[in-house]
Amino acid sequence: MENILSVLVFFPLVAAILGFLVGKKSIRVYGISVATIEFLLTLWLWFAFDNSNGGFQFIEYIPLVSEFGINYYLGVDGISLFIVIMAALMTLVGIIALNVKKDLKNMIITLLFLEVAMIGVFVSLDAIVFYLFWEFSLVPMLYIIGAWGGELRLYAAIKFFLYTFAGSLVMLVGMLYMAYVYHSVSGVWSFAITDWYALVLPLSIQKWLFWAFFLGFAIKVPMFPFHTWLPYAHGQAPTVGSVILAAVLLKMGSYGFVRFSLPMFPDASVAYITPVAIIAIIMIIYTAMVAYAQKDMKQVIAYSSISHMGVIVLGTFAMNAEGISGSIFQMLSHGIVSGALFLLVGVIYDRRHTKLMSEFGGLALVMPKYALIFGIMMMASVGLPLTIGFIGEYLSLAGFFKISPMLTLLAGTSIILGAIYMLSLYKRSFFGPVTNEANAKLPDLDSKELTALVPLVALVVWLGVYPKPVLGPIDNSVKALVTFMHEKAQTSEAKSVIVVSKRTKEAK
Amino acid sequence: MIGLGHYLILASILFSIGLVGVIRRKNLLMLFFATEIMLNAANVAFAAISSYHHDLAGQMFAFFIVAVAASEVAVGLGLLILLYKKYGTLDLDEFTMMKG
Amino acid sequence: METLVYTALFAPLVGSLFAALFAMSPKRQMTGVVTSILLFVSFFSSAKVLMHVVEHGEVHIKLMDWIVAGDMYIPFGFNVDAVSAVMMTVVTLVSMVVHIYSNGYMEHDRSFNRFFSYLSAFVFSMMVLVMSDNFLGLFIGWEGVGVCSWLLIGFWYHKEDVGRDVNPSISPSWAANEAFIMNRIADLGMLVGIFLIYWNVGSLQYDKVFEVVPGLDHGLLVMIGIFLFIGAMGKSAQFPMHTWLADAMEGPTPVSALIHAATMVTAGVYLVIRANPLYELIPEVSYFIASLGTFVAIFAASMALVNRDLKRIIAYSTLSQLGYMFAAAGLGAYWVALFHLAAHAFFKALLFLGAGNVMHAMHDELDIFKMGGLKKVMKWTYIYMGVASLALCGIWPLAGFYSKDTILEVAFNEHTYIIWFILWLTAGMTAFYSFRLVFIAFWGDERYKKLGFHPHEVQNYVLWGMLPLGILAVVFGWHKESFMEFVTEMLPAYEMSEHTHHMVATLTVATTLIALGGILLAFRLYSVRLRRDEKVEKSKIYKVLSNQYYIPIFYKNTFSEPYAKLSEIAWKEVDMQVVDATVDGIANIIEESGDAARQAQSGNLSDYLRWIAIGAIALAVLALFAALKS
Repeated sequence: MENILSVLVFFPLVAAILGFLVGKKSIRVYGISVATIEFLLTLWLWFAFDNSNGGFQFIEYIPLVSEFGINYYLGVDGISLFIVIMAALMTLVGIIALNVKKDLKNMIITLLFLEVAMIGVFVSLDAIVFYLFWEFSLVPMLYIIGAWGGELRLYAAIKFFLYTFAGSLVMLVGMLYMAYVYHSVSGVWSFAITDWYALVLPLSIQKWLFWAFFLGFAIKVPMFPFHTWLPYAHGQAPTVGSVILAAVLLKMGSYGFVRFSLPMFPDASVAYITPVAIIAIIMIIYTAMVAYAQKDMKQVIAYSSISHMGVIVLGTFAMNAEGISGSIFQMLSHGIVSGALFLLVGVIYDRRHTKLMSEFGGLALVMPKYALIFGIMMMASVGLPLTIGFIGEYLSLAGFFKISPMLTLLAGTSIILGAIYMLSLYKRSFFGPVTNEANAKLPDLDSKELTALVPLVALVVWLGVYPKPVLGPIDNSVKALVTFMHEKAQTSEAKSVIVVSKRTKEAK
Repeated sequence: MIGLGHYLILASILFSIGLVGVIRRKNLLMLFFATEIMLNAANVAFAAISSYHHDLAGQMFAFFIVAVAASEVAVGLGLLILLYKKYGTLDLDEFTMMKG
Repeated sequence: METLVYTALFAPLVGSLFAALFAMSPKRQMTGVVTSILLFVSFFSSAKVLMHVVEHGEVHIKLMDWIVAGDMYIPFGFNVDAVSAVMMTVVTLVSMVVHIYSNGYMEHDRSFNRFFSYLSAFVFSMMVLVMSDNFLGLFIGWEGVGVCSWLLIGFWYHKEDVGRDVNPSISPSWAANEAFIMNRIADLGMLVGIFLIYWNVGSLQYDKVFEVVPGLDHGLLVMIGIFLFIGAMGKSAQFPMHTWLADAMEGPTPVSALIHAATMVTAGVYLVIRANPLYELIPEVSYFIASLGTFVAIFAASMALVNRDLKRIIAYSTLSQLGYMFAAAGLGAYWVALFHLAAHAFFKALLFLGAGNVMHAMHDELDIFKMGGLKKVMKWTYIYMGVASLALCGIWPLAGFYSKDTILEVAFNEHTYIIWFILWLTAGMTAFYSFRLVFIAFWGDERYKKLGFHPHEVQNYVLWGMLPLGILAVVFGWHKESFMEFVTEMLPAYEMSEHTHHMVATLTVATTLIALGGILLAFRLYSVRLRRDEKVEKSKIYKVLSNQYYIPIFYKNTFSEPYAKLSEIAWKEVDMQVVDATVDGIANIIEESGDAARQAQSGNLSDYLRWIAIGAIALAVLALFAALKS
């Protein structure tokens, strides 16, 4: 299968369009089958992937508007491969756990459209194609929040859309300027990311471009102080919306840093490590505190997402293989864990139609299976060793320690503050006596919910104990990336900060 | 001797009269007259400049404008009659259904 | 040999997973039995491995790779040398006894199966901690025991939060969270220590690190030493992170015996012993460790003097004994610290299990003032607790005599007379509070009768199960010489000076005298009946001590409450009022300006015509300017 990536992108699209013809009764089965096939295809992609190759694979290239250098150009490397797999997995899990009464058919079709956009973003190697998928992903999400959300759904949906859209427009300007610069240097138009990589820019231009891209990514991540759309979006979105949003859509921002900012503007990235790191640390500490103050379970997890994304950003700007590999691994880990946590909150919301912690207490007595899975996910979220959450967080912090021990110490408070808000959530909801009559007879997880959650639990433990199959390919690509950045860097500062790992050097 | 300048001054004066009419008048019929005056001001300028440069293109344009103005009046007056039938007035300030 | 090591390591895990299968079903005796048998298997293998290590030296094996990224290479590697072999044997032995004991203690608990699952999981984590061959592997165990401790302290999570005056620990779940979070603070320190090692050595394997350490910059070593010790302080509950240990007594008593006395809390001491090549190089940090240990010894003992809670008294004594261990390790006598660690594990676990028997008999009543005269009904428990207390006081020929006395000798030998004096004084206090407990609970008038209790001795098999600890509390000290020979293969030997040798007899007598003095005082005050002195109980110092120096209150007022308030401000004032309000503000400005501009769309055609005219004129003017310019 030479064109597996196109299949991955367009299969859900075709399936979504055909979905309009499927009857209402069989739409759930249809959705699950499509998502399963898609997920199996991504697994096949992993199977066929050459782990020892750090560059792009499965490349597809079809000229679209060749006079302007816009082409249909796809490919994956170790960095994007697992995010693609995760996107397919979380869509599948989200559809399995789907529990909306209203317009189920529309929801499933929307999710399939969303899947197209998500996978498209991570496999595009052409900036315009990337941008198209990037913006297209907003539409299904807008619809999901706006149509199935809570009371403030319209406000939340519009805020989500306009805020992220504004950011991406700045990014688009950056892309156009980048193409213009490329044109003026080489004489031909090109939007291919790989072409842009090869372009060595003077620091002054890099700086402008860095901030243009930064704004687009930072709003998506979301980084402080651009984060306030997220609590509203999560607060109003239906469970499946939150799952996809936290698991995959946020990763588009942090992925952008790795795919665009670092290799295209290595000097500017190094020059701006300190301000970016300070923002990241504010994210980590400040949103962890805000999370602690929340009364609503879902909001705690929403704010905790921001805090964890801070660690990811920090790891990305560590400029060494440890930190960047760690941050990519943390993207996967955060995707799985926060997705699972949102599913879990959805479970209790379905039963009680409230998410306020004060309404609960003693749930561990009534719903032991639920408490167990929640407990495991909570421990993964606070970064317990031998769960998936530890490895990424550890590597990200370890990597950034090379840049600045003091800032890492501050960022490391995430392991303390994370424990504080998560444990207090757990204590308030699960421990203590059952005080509220309404909770006394809640049913435990049913088979549908278990089907969605148990694979995630297995994944959390498996990748925590044996991360090698995933971390290996990531690390290979990251090493190639770091070596590339090191060679491309012009300023002596950047040369010294970007550390090529010893093993890469020896291999040469 | 009447030179190009005089024609242009006449055209300008005519145009200004038309413009003031467009700005000040409230009756749609009067507005039509005002626009006709402006069009004819342009015609005068076209014809004068055409003769000055010995280029017939200007006069051709003037004819065009006459034709356009004639057809415009034909269609426009028809519309005005319809408007009058519907609303019983041709006062501009009465037509505010496009208010945003 | 590999098989034995893996058996020792994984048998508890298998037991834990097996018990976990039944975690949500009603009690099955089988889970208790199976986990106990697997623990025996683990103990047996550990003992065999210990024998092997005695004869053939250390065993180093690698299971598989764990984290490989950049230059970071961390395997699941296990290194069994003298120190870890001793730790493994001690841990599995005490765990096995505690497992057997728990079969009786948890008999009527509805979460019987779950309890054994947690308990065995703890043993597995502890084994990882002591067996690992690198710092990050140790960290896995370190965090693993933390989680198991969290689960087990909060085992009776259904209890409600109550005020501090009713129960100083508030509730099991509260105490569990306190323990976990406080340990996390320390873990951050440890993690920073690990990062420092990684970026300066390039590896986290013990052997590589300790090989490179002598060549590193002294200031850097000091930093590494301090950060690793911060980790140790949290796990071993050293001041100022000690409050969680007393609150951890909310957990079931077997847990207190195993985790919060014998094994987990000694992990910090183990870390210092393990990193001895590092601490040898930084005497100033070592001296600080010794001083802090000494301080904690007397500080904790002082709180134990006045407490009325059976388990808290023993918890404070644990804290105090951990102080002794750190004092020994800080002074360079690593093998002595390890020796005291092992001896303490035996007698302190015994003491706690005895306390568990008393609690069972008294229906979970913990106030010793409500007991009295229990020796008549609980003869064997009395004997066990008496032996354990004697060992704790350091009375010849019990285990504590050998280990504690050696620590005092070391302090004397190092010419740190202040440390020696404080530790000596603490020995007296230890004797007093231990026997205060014994006399008040077991001697004197039977106050419980009035309160309607009907205490009875526990099941026979439980008493038999405790026997190994009872025997070891007596005989372990007799093997001091062979123990020293064995562990000093790994650890630096500690030589006493000539001068100290002369003084040994005098020192021993002095220590024994003060211990006996403490016991005698307790005997005079409490053996016949409970003598309470109103004046003393109303005095300021008594209040300070019984309120734990007001430290928990201080923490609440300076850390937890301000943090909660600050969080509230961060959310409501900053996030909502500033950050989000700015975003909405920008949106509103755009909306309002649009609204204002909308006025131009009046719908009035004559207005539009005017605008057209103005536009036309403006264009004409512009054209004019452009024409003039060119």
